[in-house]
Amino acid sequence: MNELIPLIVIIPIIAALLLNLFAGKNKIIKAIAFIVGIGMPILTLITGYGLHYFGGHQPLASSNIAGLPSYITNSTLYNLHPAITYSYTPLAKVFIFALGIVVFLSLLTYLNSENKSSGPFLFMVFMGTASVSALILSDDLFNMYVFFEIAALIQTGIIIASSAKDNYETALKYMILSSIGGPILLLGITILLAICGSVNITDISLAVSTLVQTPISRGVLLFAFSLIFFGWLYASGLPPFHVIKSSVYSKAEPYGACILQAMSLISLIAFVIVIFRIFGDFDLFKGAMILISIIAMVLGVSMAVVQTDFRRMIAYLSVGELGFVGLGFGLGGKFAITAGLFQGVNEMLVTTLLFIGLGSVVYLTNTSDTRKLGGLIGKNTMMAIMILLGGFAMAGVPPFNGFRSKLMIVEAALTSGYPELAVIIVLISIATFIVFVKSFYTIFLKPQPNDLKFVKESIPKSMIFAVAVLLIICLILGLYPGIVTNPISQCIGGLL
Amino acid sequence: MILLDMQLLTLFTAGALIIIGIFAAIYIDNIIKKIIGLSFIEEGVNLFIISLGFNKGGVVPILMPGMNTNWFVTNSAYPLPQALVLTSIVIGASTFAIMLAIVMVLYKKYGSLSTREILKHKSDMGDEQ
Repeated sequence: MNELIPLIVIIPIIAALLLNLFAGKNKIIKAIAFIVGIGMPILTLITGYGLHYFGGHQPLASSNIAGLPSYITNSTLYNLHPAITYSYTPLAKVFIFALGIVVFLSLLTYLNSENKSSGPFLFMVFMGTASVSALILSDDLFNMYVFFEIAALIQTGIIIASSAKDNYETALKYMILSSIGGPILLLGITILLAICGSVNITDISLAVSTLVQTPISRGVLLFAFSLIFFGWLYASGLPPFHVIKSSVYSKAEPYGACILQAMSLISLIAFVIVIFRIFGDFDLFKGAMILISIIAMVLGVSMAVVQTDFRRMIAYLSVGELGFVGLGFGLGGKFAITAGLFQGVNEMLVTTLLFIGLGSVVYLTNTSDTRKLGGLIGKNTMMAIMILLGGFAMAGVPPFNGFRSKLMIVEAALTSGYPELAVIIVLISIATFIVFVKSFYTIFLKPQPNDLKFVKESIPKSMIFAVAVLLIICLILGLYPGIVTNPISQCIGGLL
Repeated sequence: MILLDMQLLTLFTAGALIIIGIFAAIYIDNIIKKIIGLSFIEEGVNLFIISLGFNKGGVVPILMPGMNTNWFVTNSAYPLPQALVLTSIVIGASTFAIMLAIVMVLYKKYGSLSTREILKHKSDMGDEQ
């Protein structure tokens, strides 16, 4: 079933093109979006693990070149394998499946809550899905850069497609940063190409393990590391890019914000794995990763406290949660990295739950300003309770998935000899809990302001369904974390 | 020797373009000039990549009939950077097209291309910065 691997990228691209072709035909657009949305998670489940050489052939060993023309066998040309290498592993499966769930539920919410579907918005959703799926599948650094740039353009498009105030200003700011972050990342990749002669990640990892012995090469590698690390910070929205990333999430519609955060998270995971594979043995890697993770966690929570817009509050909390993922890699070792990646999956699901759940408040009142809200628990009690439980999952309250992953990271910090990090993690989790409960009180429990006007009478059933499904998944992963940790751990074992 | 110096000169030019571009993107007030600065960064990186493929006294990387393959492998220019640059140029063109389209919308909205003017206008309207 390896032949299905490229379809994970190709099908969303074809769907995006079809949506453009049928622009204006509402029913056809909705049908295509729904079918592809539900089909993508299924495709990830039935696809077999392995490598796929897209547009080329697999590398030839000197033992199986018999029968080829002499001008190839007599030179080193047989070493060339001009193909995009897609590597489908259990880890890729977990993340692409989680992305599929997020995309499907976001689309369901969008299609149900909007009377007329926007072809361009759906086009961008599917192109974004294809680009981040390719990002995590690819074993080629330049190919990753290309899909990373496509993802950046798509993210800008999703902001422009929203009706939020100042969306164009935010989109331009994001594009300007993208035009600095992208070329710097490319420069780092080029330096690796210059000293290793390849852009294939496996080849580079092997070359770096030898090159690192020479002081000059080590210096050049450190320079390449710093450039790629900078590009990674931009791609994932970690400090100093947390402000623009949070702004981007808050300017998109709630269903768009879910997809944006999932795209950022997968970009983070895809690049951090590559950085770990190439530079994992560098002392600087560990130090930089731990430092940036702590800054992200502290800044995320402290900036979430002062927000009066709950979309910005979730955005900052989600940036803070990314710090836990980085911390797993910074601590190193199979258990810590598995914990970090498990936290990544949890964060993607929980943030989607909160964006859709609190998106229902925007749907009813057309505002996300907590100062203008209050007493909404009476409007839909079930939704309010599910949002509260989602907040608990994010803060790491048992028995939800967030508790399991954060507990694993605390254990990893203690066993790695960093008890102070364990203390910071616990404090950040408590702070997240307080921030969320405070916002929940302001939106749902405090007396309803007299001037609060409702633009819609009830919440669409699709929103309730999406939030309920995500909450059930969070609970299942909290009770049976092995569903995610076993395949991730299996893959990480192979990387160490 | 002259050719080798040419490669060094290209690398220095690439570095200068990147630094000038970063400076322009950060300090220049006019949005169009900022975007031109960003294109300097992009072109600097492209020039850097192209210069990597340089091979002193090398040949075009096309294997012709009758050519000694081992000689070709040693003497041809490295073709990968050229392929990378081509893709990078296409990405850059798309990025700048979108940026300029956004600038057109902002100009219609604020009547100015100055970031200071736009921020001032926004603060006068009581918006967040």
